[in-house]
Amino acid sequence: MSRVIGIDLGTTNSCVAVIENGQPTVIPNTGGYKTTPSMFAISQDGKRLVGHLAKRQAITNSRNTVYASKRLIGRRFDAAEVQKSLDLCPYEIVRGPNDDPRIKIGEKIFTCPEISGIILREMKRVAEEYLGEPVREAVITVPAYFNDTQRQCTKDAGKIAGLEVMRIINEPTAAALAYGLGRKGEEKIAVYDLGGGTFDISILELGNGVIEVLATAGNTFLGGEDFDRRVVEHLLARFQEAEGIDLRSDPMALQRLKDAAEKAKCDLSSREKVEINLPFIASDAKGPRHLTLELERSALEGLVDDIVRQSIKIVEQCLRDASLTATDIDQVLLVGGQTRMPLVQNQVAELFGKRPHKGVNPDEVVAVGAAIQGEALLSEDKNLLLLDVTPLSLGIATFGGHFARLIERNTTVPVRKAHVFTTTRDNQSAVKIRVLQGESDVAAENDLLGEFVLNGIRQARKGEPEVEVSFDIDANGIVSVSARDNATGKEQSITVNATGTLSPEEIQRIVEENELYEVQLKR
Amino acid sequence: MHAMGSEAPSEARVVRLAPGCNPARLPLSPAEGYLLSRIDGATPWRLLREIGGLTPEDVDRCLERWIDQGILLVADGAPGPNGAKRSAPPASPRPAEPPAAAAPAPAALASRPEEAIDASLEIPVEAQRRILAFEAKLDRPYHEILGVAKDADARTVKRAYFELSKEYHPDRYFRKRVGRHGERLERIFRKVLEAYELLADPTTRAEVQRSLDAAAAAPPAAPPSPPTPLSVVARPSPPAAPASSAPPAPPTAPRPRAPRISTAHLRALAQRKAKAKTFFEAGMAAFQASRWLEAASSVRLALAFDPWNAAYKESFAGVQRRANDERAKQFVKEAESALELRQPKEALRLYEEALHCVPHEPEINYKAARLALVLGEDPKRAKEYAARACELRPEVPAHHRLLGQIYKSGGLVANARRELEAALRLDPRDAEARQELKTLGRG
Repeated sequence: MSRVIGIDLGTTNSCVAVIENGQPTVIPNTGGYKTTPSMFAISQDGKRLVGHLAKRQAITNSRNTVYASKRLIGRRFDAAEVQKSLDLCPYEIVRGPNDDPRIKIGEKIFTCPEISGIILREMKRVAEEYLGEPVREAVITVPAYFNDTQRQCTKDAGKIAGLEVMRIINEPTAAALAYGLGRKGEEKIAVYDLGGGTFDISILELGNGVIEVLATAGNTFLGGEDFDRRVVEHLLARFQEAEGIDLRSDPMALQRLKDAAEKAKCDLSSREKVEINLPFIASDAKGPRHLTLELERSALEGLVDDIVRQSIKIVEQCLRDASLTATDIDQVLLVGGQTRMPLVQNQVAELFGKRPHKGVNPDEVVAVGAAIQGEALLSEDKNLLLLDVTPLSLGIATFGGHFARLIERNTTVPVRKAHVFTTTRDNQSAVKIRVLQGESDVAAENDLLGEFVLNGIRQARKGEPEVEVSFDIDANGIVSVSARDNATGKEQSITVNATGTLSPEEIQRIVEENELYEVQLKR
Repeated sequence: MHAMGSEAPSEARVVRLAPGCNPARLPLSPAEGYLLSRIDGATPWRLLREIGGLTPEDVDRCLERWIDQGILLVADGAPGPNGAKRSAPPASPRPAEPPAAAAPAPAALASRPEEAIDASLEIPVEAQRRILAFEAKLDRPYHEILGVAKDADARTVKRAYFELSKEYHPDRYFRKRVGRHGERLERIFRKVLEAYELLADPTTRAEVQRSLDAAAAAPPAAPPSPPTPLSVVARPSPPAAPASSAPPAPPTAPRPRAPRISTAHLRALAQRKAKAKTFFEAGMAAFQASRWLEAASSVRLALAFDPWNAAYKESFAGVQRRANDERAKQFVKEAESALELRQPKEALRLYEEALHCVPHEPEINYKAARLALVLGEDPKRAKEYAARACELRPEVPAHHRLLGQIYKSGGLVANARRELEAALRLDPRDAEARQELKTLGRG
């Protein structure tokens, strides 16, 4: 039996791990790095580049280099988040035929699952080189707040990469698994995960090898890149002040600023002051201009303080969801590179009244947890079990555009819940069951997962017929919904195939196309 | 008493569900479903007749039918037609006790344990045995399912839940060949989860505790409360009665973790029934006095307390109709005075209120449509009302003319032409329709 790998498919960096002789190992790539930039590019001479190779040429080839595509995956083109990315990304984002955002590089248009698939394929290749054997199966992590479509798109990406996705698990849950491996006691832990693009907080309980998710919350648009952006804005403003030149419309300058901002941000985690030096960033009639300025840690903290505070607010909400207070938490895990920032650590410590746990590597712990879950699912002696929860509430649309929740978010799966509904018109002979996912009380503001019609309801005045609607989520997170007329016994049901943005045919086409490139890469 | 005597043989009989039949698939009314859910192989026929929802005669008919259909079996070892014991309380099972082994509860519908064990599956035979044994006790009180004491603290409850999860969570046998045990594991885990959720939460836990106590303390004359949860017609809460003047939104979602406790059910049911009866009688008195609105709200309350009562339901339909007519009349009156006061917007709102009560009144639909068109606010709504008026009274030319005008104002020329022509066909002298059609042609 081939081995299962765990992949942390991050917004900015990805990481892969495997279990060897019971011990988790993070697999370094050919360059010796344990994380690989989630970047993809097509070079000027038409070569496909992934990871560090893509990052290295990103400055000179910014229009053809894709990063942070995880922010787009599984969303609609018109979504606010996509529109925001349109303004910020140097690469071109276009509207796809399914209303999904796609990325145009040169003449070729890529779907988001395809881009993620290319990165996953790279991670698979890294693992195969290290293990010296083909890898077929993987557990992939996503932010806890990903909805069904985003999860399905990530699964599709796995398929495109030639991987069988055993399960999609939440990043913070994976971190808790890595922490919980081999631990015997009982404790409650909080996982504060501030990555490149997303923020997640989860409260979990560990007890002799069983891990139960008590609550999760987060924001898919809060992460390290927001910190970078604040710094970039700051640099742009300072440069304009000093030189009177607006660099916003110059993609090359923007990319250089972004890189410099990221580096300065990281350096300021260990130093009090850094110098940012970007020679020849612009030129005008008076000749070339250079950007040279100093940034102090306290200045950086001033720029991003509200972002960190925002995350703390979400933590407080999550604690309330779990009916806990900060003092109930025995251990705090920090995940994601951004948690290296002293400001973040201090605010988290202040909230929980204790310093965070030091034993895990924030960049690698999620991939390790994914590998552990893969191993735990297949192993014979079950000493580790994850009791996962459904991340978003599930329900149906009811009369007047309301959303009736049948399964609240953070409910442990597998689960089944039923409720009786009725008609709203006299002699109504059919009801339409629209299955939705989300947290809004307004049906239209939630995501539609699927719909079906129950016919043949007995003729009666409104409010009399009884239609029992039941929701079923199995251990794999597959949702099925059925509706039954209690009077006639007639029943109708669907399995909600979370629809990604791609059809099976499209996925197949992409798989075949990419196999051609795979050959090219190896040559 | 003598009438009952003639039914003695059947009254003392005990019925149980036939193994292998899936009652969830049967076309049953809620009351029948409720009756079926009470059949546990321990409750004698006599008590089933008094359980409510159906009349004793209907219960007899139902049970006979189900026996004929092979859904029910007359349990082995049932007490014989012994007249002397008839008036005494049933000798056997104490209320809180699980059903006798000879009469499996619905949850254990599967075939006998040994037959379900399959050595070729990828679950050790020992584990299969444990799964079957656990499944058989799923209708026991929650604390027994978790294997903890009745007064166990939250930490003990959680520990038990974690331990059982390790053994019965479907992931334990991920991708293994598990045959029918797969469904069993899901069933078991769900039940374990339910037990944990109920017992870990102090509020629901208190409710569970109360229901157990109530069952234990039930007087012998009260119907024995079988520990079987309402597995056949599992409903988190009775359906809410339809809303009154507001559009009748379907009931909202259940509270999470709504306890489904059958032991307390019957006792509470008796109290609720008494309350329901009071409301119903008040409602009928109001009905006699033609106070329709009052009658409707009383009967609605009665139904809220006793949702399965067929008589209440039946009269509710009638009362509700009268009340709706009455309410609609009031709204129409108010709408007309609003029109006199030149408040067309308010008038439209009032007509719409009336339509909520009597959606199929063509005249009100027509009036609402005309106002909506004049106000030009929401052409979609105007169209909807006019279309309904046409549908309800297609022979009235004005209905078609109005719908045509609405289409016209929305730029749907073909639809407008169709309706205006229909109006003219019905009344060739309709000058207004003709004029509209003319200008349509030019546009």
